[in-house]
Order: sequence, then structure tokens, then C-alpha cells
Amino acid sequence: MDATEQQTVTTPALTASGVQVKIGDKQIIHHADLKLEAGKLVALVGPNGAGKSTLARAIAGIQAISVGDVRWFDKDVAEMKGRELALTRAFVPQRALVPAGVTVRDAVTIGRSVHIRPWQRPGAADREAIDQAMERTGVSVLSERDLTTLSGGEMQRVQIAVALAQNAPVLMADEPTSQLDLGATVSIAKLLRGLADDGYAVLLVVHDLSLAAAVSDEVVVMSDGRSVASGEPLKTLTRERLSEVWGVSASLEVSGDERTALHVAWLEGEDRPVRDAGHSGEDG
Amino acid sequence: MARKSGVVVGLVVAVCVAVVASLAYGAVSIPFGQVIDALTGASEVSESTSKIVLDLRLPRSCEAIVVGAALGVAGALLQGALNNPLASPDIVGVTGGAGFGAVLILILFPAQVALLPVGALFFGLLAAGLVFAVAWSGANRGSVSKLILAGIAIGAMFGAGTTAILTAYPDRVPSVLFFIAGSLTSDGWGDLKAVWPYFAIGFVLAIGLMRPLDRLSLGDEVAASLGTKPRLIRLIAGVAAALLAASAASLAGLLAFLGLVVPHFVRMAAGTSSHTYVVPVSALAGATLLLAGDTLARVVAAPIELPVGPFMVLIGVPMFLYLLRRAG
Repeated sequence: MDATEQQTVTTPALTASGVQVKIGDKQIIHHADLKLEAGKLVALVGPNGAGKSTLARAIAGIQAISVGDVRWFDKDVAEMKGRELALTRAFVPQRALVPAGVTVRDAVTIGRSVHIRPWQRPGAADREAIDQAMERTGVSVLSERDLTTLSGGEMQRVQIAVALAQNAPVLMADEPTSQLDLGATVSIAKLLRGLADDGYAVLLVVHDLSLAAAVSDEVVVMSDGRSVASGEPLKTLTRERLSEVWGVSASLEVSGDERTALHVAWLEGEDRPVRDAGHSGEDG
Repeated sequence: MARKSGVVVGLVVAVCVAVVASLAYGAVSIPFGQVIDALTGASEVSESTSKIVLDLRLPRSCEAIVVGAALGVAGALLQGALNNPLASPDIVGVTGGAGFGAVLILILFPAQVALLPVGALFFGLLAAGLVFAVAWSGANRGSVSKLILAGIAIGAMFGAGTTAILTAYPDRVPSVLFFIAGSLTSDGWGDLKAVWPYFAIGFVLAIGLMRPLDRLSLGDEVAASLGTKPRLIRLIAGVAAALLAASAASLAGLLAFLGLVVPHFVRMAAGTSSHTYVVPVSALAGATLLLAGDTLARVVAAPIELPVGPFMVLIGVPMFLYLLRRAG
């Protein structure tokens, strides 16, 4: 099951340094650094529009990089072909399409398709991998259900199952919990933490700071297209940084039994002025 | 599983029945035994019977099968690639372009009627080429809405050209009615021989597109996660559909309805939208529907042949509406 066995623990799964991304004429990422390691969960946090999703997509090889260096297991992402990328990292998007007439098993089989040759049907090994991906994410009981009949939380688990069927050592998830209720959010958080403990390198793009602090080994903070801080969650998400980056008076607190809470002064202080993102960062 | 296989078995039986009927019935009815004898070249068949079966009806049945399959596949590819249930060969401009090409030849150069398939094919592909050129340039290139809007605009342009020619020569309009309504002709293997390479390329591309389209059905990002380039797949699917639909129009006129309805029919009947199933089964269903419709069109008012388009609609729409009512 352990997809990362063949990777030596010492080589980082991913090193991204000095990444810049331009979409059209607009500089979205000015400068970002990020590292991922097997068995570790890194949370990418930051305000709306800070460039978290763009950075995740750029690292995944889905969005082109204008300047910078992204290496997966020491290989330049620009030189990697589609299939090679697919075998290296799986990307769970924020919002997936939910087509009618596709069952959970069909969807997970699509995830497995990188391992199946163009003219072949899924073999015994493929069926086993598909079953395992569904079991690990707890969607086996839903396997014959049509995707359109699933709840948001169930659908998100299926998305992760599709990614696991890829059997890549790295899992990237772009705000998988942003549409979910508390119970579903907790279960996705547990699942992702468990996958990191199984040996996957996990990158989680997330808004919820108390969730990030609870599940991650490291957080990377994005602000205005830059990675401005990274490190252990509690040491990085300080009161000062929350005020600086989010413009909110808040503090992250942890109680002994691994409970995290974000204490927010909801109605305190001046409202933050709206800035025109197009004019931020003249040094592009 | 049983439901999916059931649909395939039903269609195979239906297409076999339609093949036999299309060879046996028409202006002259030929007993089943003699049809077989003609096909196997048995000596006791009269020359005229053999000629009717082999030189008139067989090529026409083959055309119906190829054209029906091509339109079914074209619709399935476009609906998958654009993730839009309303997509049909109309949407990439093919129908408008092919109609213009046909009208141009039939009305302005009636002496060159042999060029009809070439004209329809050329203008069908030209229109599709223009649509892709617009949709794949500028910001947000290759987006679904850009492609659909470009298709509608360019289709309208060719449509206006068609109308202009028709109004300029009102006395010649009857000659294009059969093309516009959609109809097959009994003039041997010539047309099929001329356009088969375009069909072949389209069908081969379609086979290669089935798995990428399945990935695309879960969204562009899932497809990208699996190493597939969504825009490239859309472009290839568009090109394949344009080739198939333009070749189909060159042989049988404007039958766009088939491309729209057949894939839905397959999905609703079988309860799956997996492209590895829907694409090939749409070929089978399209072939069945067109062949059955064409046989009816030749038999109903025999010896007068009616255009197949309306007959196919007559068979297809009630079945389609029945399924639509049942579907969620």
C-alpha cells in the first residue's frame, strides 16, 4: 500500500524556490518557496487572493511558471510529461465536476487510468488498487452510487479516492473542506492526516487556520503573492502575523488534548480597506 | 452491467434487422432468400435483382451505417469535450458550412453536381477551422463558452450566405431541399470512396479520445492531475467531430439532429455516461437509427423516395421523449 517506499526519506518530494507566476499580464505569484517531504503534511494558508491555489497549481505542473525552480524528487517540473507528473503527484481540485451517469467506482477507475495502457481494460492489480483507494477513504459502500446522489462530504472523499487511485507518493488538495460542514470537515482532516502518517507527502491548501494548526507539520503563509513565513504552525501563526497578513486581531490557541481554536476579536478595530490587487507589488 | 449489455444486444439485433430490410425493401421488394443469394453471388439470381441489391441498395445501406455512426460519434465527442448536453455538430459550425457548400454547388454550379460532397466537406471543415481559430486565440483560449459562441456566430454567417443564395435563385430552391432535409442517394460506391479517409481519421481519433474524455468529465483539474491536457483534448475532439460531421453531411445532407440525440439516447437507455461505452454505442445507435429511417423513407411512398431526415426524427423523437420523461 505504501506508495512512498521506493523514495528515500532524505530527498524532499518537492522543492520549489523563487517561483513566479504570471497569468496574462498579471503577476499572481511574486516569490514563493515551498518544500514537501514524505510523511509530512504541509498546510498552505493565506487570505483570499494571496495566490495559494495558483501556487499549488503551478507546483503541480497544471499552471505554467514564469520564473523559478520547481523540482519533484530532483526533477524539473517543466521537463516532466503528463503521465510522469500523474505518477508523481495527485491533485484534488477545489471544485470538481459532478457528472451524471458516473458511479463512484467509475470515477475511481478514471483515477486509476494512468496505470492502464490505452487499449487495456483494468486488470486484477488495478481493481485491487481501486478497491483499496475506496476503502482507505471510506467510500466502498457508495461504490455503485451515481456521483450526483452524493453529499458534499461524500463527494470530497470520492475526489480523494480518485487521487489515491493514481498511486502517486504526493497528494495535493486545494481547499477540500471549504464547502463542508463541521463533521465532514473533521473527517477529511483526519483522512489527510492519516495519509501523511501512512507516508504520503501531503500539501493542503486551506482557509481554516485552526484546522491547519491541528493537522499540519508545517504551515506556509502566503500574502499578496509571496510566501512570507513558514514553520511549525503555532510558532508561525502568531498574533502579530495574523494581524499583519489577515488584518485581524486574533490568536491561535491549543489546549492539552490537541484541540485548536482561533480566538477572534470579531468586531474590534478598523475595517480593512479594500485594495486593488492589480496594483499590489510593483516590483513584479 | 446487464442493462448496458442489454442495450448493446438490442442495438445489434436492430441494426441486423435494418440491414436486411434495407436490402430487401424499396421500390421493388426482393425476397430474403434472393437477397442472400445476391450477396453471396449465387448464379440463380437474376441480373437485375443482383444489380438492385449490390449496386443500389448495398452501397446506400453502407452509407447509412457510416453516416449514422459518424454523427452519433461526433455528438458524443462534442458533448463530452464541451461538457455540454446541447452540443452537436452544429456547434462547431460544421452544419452551417456544409449547408453553404452544398447550396453553392447545387444552385450556382448545377452542372457540377458531382462536386456536391466535396463542396459540403470543404465548407464544413472551413467553418469548423474558423471556429477553432477564433476560439483558440486571445485570452482564455480554448474555453468552452468561447468555442460555443464562436460556433454560433460563424454558423450564422454561413447560414446567412445560404439564405442569400437561396433568395437570389428561388426557382432552383427545390434542388437543395433533399440536401437540407437530409437524404441518402442510390448512386453506388463513388461518394463513399471519395470521403472514406475523412471518416477513418475521425473514427480513429474518437477511439483514442474515449479515455481522455472520461478524465475530462470529472473536470479540467482532475484531467490535468491525471496528466491529460484539457484544451488539447477539446481541440482534438472538435477536429474529429468536424471531420465526421462534415463527411456525413457530404453524403447525406444535414442530419444534425442525429448527433444531438443519439448520445443522450444511449446514456439514458444504458444509465451510464462513461465514454468508453457511450462513444462506440452511439456509433451503433446512430447507424441503426439512420438505416431504419432511410429504409422507411424509401418504402412508405414507394416508388417515390422521401428524404430520410424527417423519418429518422419520426422514429427517434418518440423513443427519445419516452426516455427523457423517465430520466431524472
